[in-house]
Amino acid sequence: MVQYNFKKITVVPTGKDFIDIILSRTQRQTPTVVHKGYAISRIRQFYMRKVKYTQQNYHDKLSTIIEEFPRLDDIHPFYGDLLHVLYNKDHYKLALGQINTARNLIGKIAKDYVKLLKYGDSLYRCKSLKVAALGRMCTVIKRVGPSLAYLEQIRQHMARLPSIDPNTRTILICGYPNVGKSSFINKITRADVDVQPYAFTTKSLFVGHTDYKYLRYQVIDTPGILDRPFEDRNIIEMCSITALAHLRAAVLFFLDISGSCGYSIAQQAALFHSIKSLFMNKPLIIVCNKTDLQALEGISEDDKKLVMEMKAEAMKTLIGQGGEPTNDERVLLTMSTLTEEGVIAVKNAACERLLDQRVELKMKSKKLNDCLNRFHVAMPKPRDQKERPPCIPEAVLEAKAKKAEQAAEKQKKLEKDLEDENGGAGVYSASLRKHYILANDEWKEDIMPEILDGHNVYDFVDPDILQRLEELEREEGMRQEQEADDDFEMDGAELTPEEQEALAEIRKKKRLLIQQHRMKKSTAESRPTVPRKFDKDKKYTSERMGRQLSTLGLDPTLAINRARSKSRGRKRERSVDRGDQNGTDDMDVDGNQPNKKLRLRSRSQSRSRSKSRPPYEVVPGEGLKDSAQKKKAVKLAEKSHKKRNKDARKGEADRIDASSIQIGFILHKLYTESCELSYPLLEVALKALKGLYGYRGESYCGLI
Amino acid sequence: MPQGDYIDLHRKRNGYRHDHFERKRKKEAREVHKRSQIAQKTLGIKGKMLTKKRYAEKALMKKTLAMHEESSSRRKVDDDVQEGAVPAYLLDRDATTRAKVLSNTVKQKRKEKAGKWEVPLPKVRPVAEDEMFRVIRSGKRKTKQWKRMITKATFVGPSFTRKPPKYERFIRPSGLRFTKAHVTHPELKCTFNLEIIGVKKNPNGPMYTSLGVITKGTVIEVNVSELGLVTPAGKVVWGKYAQVTNNPENDGCINAVLLV
Repeated sequence: MVQYNFKKITVVPTGKDFIDIILSRTQRQTPTVVHKGYAISRIRQFYMRKVKYTQQNYHDKLSTIIEEFPRLDDIHPFYGDLLHVLYNKDHYKLALGQINTARNLIGKIAKDYVKLLKYGDSLYRCKSLKVAALGRMCTVIKRVGPSLAYLEQIRQHMARLPSIDPNTRTILICGYPNVGKSSFINKITRADVDVQPYAFTTKSLFVGHTDYKYLRYQVIDTPGILDRPFEDRNIIEMCSITALAHLRAAVLFFLDISGSCGYSIAQQAALFHSIKSLFMNKPLIIVCNKTDLQALEGISEDDKKLVMEMKAEAMKTLIGQGGEPTNDERVLLTMSTLTEEGVIAVKNAACERLLDQRVELKMKSKKLNDCLNRFHVAMPKPRDQKERPPCIPEAVLEAKAKKAEQAAEKQKKLEKDLEDENGGAGVYSASLRKHYILANDEWKEDIMPEILDGHNVYDFVDPDILQRLEELEREEGMRQEQEADDDFEMDGAELTPEEQEALAEIRKKKRLLIQQHRMKKSTAESRPTVPRKFDKDKKYTSERMGRQLSTLGLDPTLAINRARSKSRGRKRERSVDRGDQNGTDDMDVDGNQPNKKLRLRSRSQSRSRSKSRPPYEVVPGEGLKDSAQKKKAVKLAEKSHKKRNKDARKGEADRIDASSIQIGFILHKLYTESCELSYPLLEVALKALKGLYGYRGESYCGLI
Repeated sequence: MPQGDYIDLHRKRNGYRHDHFERKRKKEAREVHKRSQIAQKTLGIKGKMLTKKRYAEKALMKKTLAMHEESSSRRKVDDDVQEGAVPAYLLDRDATTRAKVLSNTVKQKRKEKAGKWEVPLPKVRPVAEDEMFRVIRSGKRKTKQWKRMITKATFVGPSFTRKPPKYERFIRPSGLRFTKAHVTHPELKCTFNLEIIGVKKNPNGPMYTSLGVITKGTVIEVNVSELGLVTPAGKVVWGKYAQVTNNPENDGCINAVLLV
């Protein structure tokens, strides 16, 4: 599992805590009560459950430990090596192996004791076996306690490792101790690395992030490396060697040309040559730091020669990548972190080189070809030698030319360019005041006071402020009057009597509608949502519309006819016949129009007279499919209403099969013994029998 | 300091809170009261465990205090009494001691003849037959009751094959068969996991010995080749007797003491 954030590993408890946790869990989560009078299988099951539960918990917790700790062979080799350097791979693997063995041992113990529990024939024996099983499991964990403590230490340290992504764009800074690596990273990123005059201030890898061309770059600061044979290196130096070896990054080798770090240029050059094998295939830039103390031109001839040798090496990597060999500005750079000159240039150069290399690699890789295949610019096949350039109208060409002229004229330096030059978004902050128009230019950067001599400065900014205030107030007043005019008067003092009537009608109707709506809303949840066409309440009939229109004083016939003609479908023949048969229905206002519902009813006269519906007829608004389903639904509803029989009398299910011999035995026995028993006792026995065996018992009693 | 040590870094840069040390001191002072409160309020098994732990701590503290209070002032020291030294009024009882020695040797000779050896557990609780055997019903109607299943731990040798099931009277279930024992050397005080070679004697009777039943007090023979014992003659000892000291059917394992 690839995991570059080791903070997600769960805490590893100490041996004693582990035992306490699991045992108290077993005590809480399994049943606790058992008596020696229970059936033996129940007692056995009780104790077997405890043993299994404990084993299961141990297994789960140990498995999480084993799985969450990273396997050094499965993660990125950079992290694998780093963890090996820090914690020693062998110890780590041993500890995890011990946990694994513990887990298997506990499994075996549980299995053996569950097998033994099957032979337990008393509560005491089962209990002792369970105590022995749990005790042995806990002893296993106690023995493995030191490994648990070790793993906990490792986990705490791993969680604090810097989260370095080995696959993204990375810049690596290396060099002797005290050359200025940490100050550089402090300048270009927000990482606050400790900078101190003593060597080996940085004792582990530090990560910072910086931006270039809208991409994020990781900058890794390493502890200083001394020039020593490989075997003698200590853990701190090995960290940086590991980083150099495994990360595909741009390497900035720092050189202190002033010698104030305590090491001469010769020593630093020696180091460079001893680790140059690690710079294979990586864009290398040699950075000369501390130029404020000593310029690059001013160093001695021997030192200059050494520097040129290093540059030559670095050029090799540049040539190897296919870059131009003439551009040596990109290989050897000078800067000073104290005065901050050249810092941005170094960063830009490093980022640029890295980007180029990565882009080149990506272009060469197979994956890009997959994408490239999908692009295809179709060019029409030339059918003759005639040139056919793209046709741009004259006006557009002229406009373009004019624009180009204007742009050439203005050629303003944009703020963006200024920002890029001075270090990017995080580093440079534009001065927003530089275009202020003031009487004296020196006042641009002054801080404006808010209170002066006890007065608010803003009150005195505008000389005409009082005048303007008056104007504003006047405007406000006018606006308020307008609003007052717009108010609609509903008192009815200016309405004619007809209008008043109409107003009253409207208000009444409105109230009615509001009431209806409220009722509808309150029953909305329990009411079925029926589509309008089923119309159970018959609200949307044409007669109703006609009635309403006539109450308003309008003639409804035209409207009704129009509505009907639209609603009537194709099958008009039959419906017209039926309409003649069924006669009166007092819901019809206009008389002749047949009622829709009546058309669908059965033809029998009796039925048509009665207003009620047949019992299992499906009304479309109810939600049932057909009459069979409705029948079933009605039956179910009625069944659920039935009262329960609480007489406690013997029912069908309580009879005993009288053909079994047992009854005969009992009765025979009773009979033979009854000769010795007293008469009243016999009666009681017979009564009991009757009660037990019902009517058959009676017949047997008759025998006696 | 590594990049991830946020707490230490913050402390280094910004120092501690203005009341940090005072709060720390007060918190530690309150710890004592808190501990006693918890000890009073905890109930049940947790309470018992807590009291046990606290008692152990208390005992240890008392010991260290006593040690610190040992004064360096000199005190009168009694001379050690020599072994066998006797007060003046008992001096002339020589004759009886010699007689005692003689009778003791005679008794030992008798014991050797009888074959009664000194064992760590001279007496054990007798095991009744119904505790040892469980009746197994067999037959078509389950009425025959001549089979018995042994409910205690047993040892069968490596070349053991059952009698045909129809004829076997004593069933030794394989779940109760043990091959190894945890043997403690009484002088070295360390325990080894050794293989059992055979059952020598079961104190409950010769029948149990022949069946290979192992109960408390049984003398078993164990393979001690891994201990590397050598006879005075120079031969390597590979089998020794040991006596079982626990109830194997209750503990699931056989614990024994080596008879040196």
